[in-house]
Amino acid sequence: MAQADRRERTNDPVRVAVTAAGVVSPLGFGLAETLESLRSARDCVTPVMRFSVTQCRCKTAGQVSDSRLLAGHSQIPRSGRLHRASHMMIQALQQLVIQQPEFEPELTVVGTTSGGMSYGERYYRSLNGAGDLRHAPTWIANYPAQKPVIDAQTAFGISAPCHVIANACASGTNAIGHAFECVRSGRYKRVLAGGYDALAEMVFVGFDSLQASTPEKCRPFDRYRSGMVLGEGAAVLALENLDLARERGTPVLAEIIGYGISTDNFHITQPEPSGVGARQAIERALESAHISAADVDYINAHGTATTFNDAAEGKAISALFDGVPVSSTKSMIGHPLGAAGAIEAVVCLLALQHQFLPANINFTTPDTDVDLNIVANEARSAVVSVALSNSFGFGGTNASMLMRKFPPSSGLPRTIDA
Amino acid sequence: MSLAIAGMGWVTPLGVGVDSIWERLLQGEEASATTISEQFANRVYSIFRVPESALKGFSHPRLRRASAISRFAAAAGLHALEAAGLKLESQNAERIALIFAISNGGVTYTKRFYREIVSTGAQAASPLLFPETVFNAPASHLAAILGVTGATYTLVGDGAVGLAAITMAKELMANEALDYCLVVGTEEIDWLLCDAYRRWRLLRKAPPIEPFSKQNRGMILSEGAGAILLARDGFVTIERAHPGTYFGRQTEAEKILKHILCDLGQVEIDLVISSANGTFVDQAECQPIQEIVPNALVYTGKPALGESVGAAGLWQIILGAQALCSKEIPPVLHANHSVLLQLSLSRTAMASARRAIVLSCGLNQQTAGLRLATGNTPVGFHRATSGHKPAEMVGLTAEPGLQSEPNLFFGKSACVLG
Repeated sequence: MAQADRRERTNDPVRVAVTAAGVVSPLGFGLAETLESLRSARDCVTPVMRFSVTQCRCKTAGQVSDSRLLAGHSQIPRSGRLHRASHMMIQALQQLVIQQPEFEPELTVVGTTSGGMSYGERYYRSLNGAGDLRHAPTWIANYPAQKPVIDAQTAFGISAPCHVIANACASGTNAIGHAFECVRSGRYKRVLAGGYDALAEMVFVGFDSLQASTPEKCRPFDRYRSGMVLGEGAAVLALENLDLARERGTPVLAEIIGYGISTDNFHITQPEPSGVGARQAIERALESAHISAADVDYINAHGTATTFNDAAEGKAISALFDGVPVSSTKSMIGHPLGAAGAIEAVVCLLALQHQFLPANINFTTPDTDVDLNIVANEARSAVVSVALSNSFGFGGTNASMLMRKFPPSSGLPRTIDA
Repeated sequence: MSLAIAGMGWVTPLGVGVDSIWERLLQGEEASATTISEQFANRVYSIFRVPESALKGFSHPRLRRASAISRFAAAAGLHALEAAGLKLESQNAERIALIFAISNGGVTYTKRFYREIVSTGAQAASPLLFPETVFNAPASHLAAILGVTGATYTLVGDGAVGLAAITMAKELMANEALDYCLVVGTEEIDWLLCDAYRRWRLLRKAPPIEPFSKQNRGMILSEGAGAILLARDGFVTIERAHPGTYFGRQTEAEKILKHILCDLGQVEIDLVISSANGTFVDQAECQPIQEIVPNALVYTGKPALGESVGAAGLWQIILGAQALCSKEIPPVLHANHSVLLQLSLSRTAMASARRAIVLSCGLNQQTAGLRLATGNTPVGFHRATSGHKPAEMVGLTAEPGLQSEPNLFFGKSACVLG
């Protein structure tokens, strides 16, 4: 306990380790499948069959396979009644628990945007004469946003209080960021953090009505980008006091070193065009990590591929960084909303562990207005010591998080093969 | 780290303003029920609504298209700042955090948006309504009105979410970069919510709410907002917050509440503000209160104000703070006199009261508690220093009445963050 005791005595901020992670996304189930898909730059966006999209401009999304999602949960009581989001959270948490069976969080912080919305839709349609209301109590019971978190915790005997953050598309990064601050301050030793969201008709149509989603491929930062596609998934990370984790011999996957949050108040759905909100969040993350922009080796951008998001985020990045490789992995999986920040944290973790830069696929033409070093179309090997993950959402919420390779690398050339 | 209440704001079915609502509660008044119906169903429900006259003249450009939930929140938040005499300027906009507690969110617009999809098709979906369906819409409106540029969080949960928001505020305020944290709980009613709670056997057809009755006849939903400005000094301190945990079955709630009360009740407790609302919650709270704090006076405001779910926790804290400051407590209405609790059955003086526990058991598996104590700052100090009207502080303009429907002339926009 020597290092932990010393930190307590000197009031040094506690270092925060990621000691396990679980992920379910269109890229795959678990870290190994996710890594393989990222390395091969797989396009996981497929036609939507779950509900009718005939009247929508966009007809595709990044989707998680139902057959795999529901398999293996038969031991969970009444698992057939649970929302898909619960199954995603259970799958993700199961992977984490296998890596770290002794992980007992004191707090759980999870982000979401739409909770159990598809059950709300079924309920409304049935009330409106289009269905059978016999299952209404099940839909209602599984609708609340905290339910998937409680279901997952119950499945693995975790009883931590849970805070569910709904900061729109920044929710996942906000959840991990807040969890990071809870451990860093010394108030908590172990916090479970993550995010989830399952595809829902109302949300799909909502983005379509705003003309934010595209009938074409999702091309973040491309000159001819035309909008986003939605996605879904869940990811959870075990955050621990790094000294305590090492003292008990727990493998450390990566270290979270900084978090920044800002609110730009420009418009409920639009980013501030100069990128000032995004820039503030990044600057606050750098300040929190006590590093400079030059120390960052990779940026996993919010990169929704909407005209205005990518322009504002691009301005913020190019104002602060000089040629740092940037990619938006939403090009491969779509935008999983509340899960985005959590899944992208796992992407950064894998990039740090396996020393590569995930790709920004469907990239054909650089945008002359946004001067960025895009990791175009193919993943590539690189020395990655520090990764930045950005998430921005409706309501002008902006969040950035910094993660560092563990153990930190020193003095290596930045690029192995360009 | 000291955390105290520096200002409070309250919007309820008994009106707007802490002092006037408190006075009406002391007089034994209760809100008048109205009914709510739905075009596709015959069933009618009783509810406690915020009277339209209560927010007459309260307007802001940002709230023009906003749902009732956002207007309640903005009014309560501004009143809390006014009560504390705090004027936000660009210099201190970073030093205040905003945390919202919400349960069902903007359900009225969500239903309208989805109704258009169901009845007419996706092409009819309004791009104006969709942003207001997002959980953090009320927080983003208030952040924009106040010019908050730092941390803004929306927490989602059940009736205990308000207390969870205070726990989160306590964690944020541990960072000395923050001077204040404004915590707002808010909720609006829709027929769908009434129907959902009725199917869950938690709703009563008509008032009254009978707390601690053996029959658990059910609750009546209400709406409004509560806001608390937290600072390091104030007239009531948050001595201790217990984050609670979740219960799998209703019968497990009692054990968890007992644990919370054991933790909070280690000092002499004069008052318990209960969340009893005529449902299973009452029985879950009754035995632990009897056992752990048998001599404390017990009060629940829900028979007078209704069950406001996401706003309920903040309302309970306001009740506790008012009781400690004014040294008296209103009568618990419609209570079962035979229950073995020290219920406040009439307006009761508590001259020596120093500490109160706020106990919350939500309807969807969550619990929490906190302990309030009279602070070092004299009561009335903050109000006496307040020389600003909320409207003057943030550039609000008075308009005749409130717009109850969104202004639909706003065209479709592609300017989306995603």
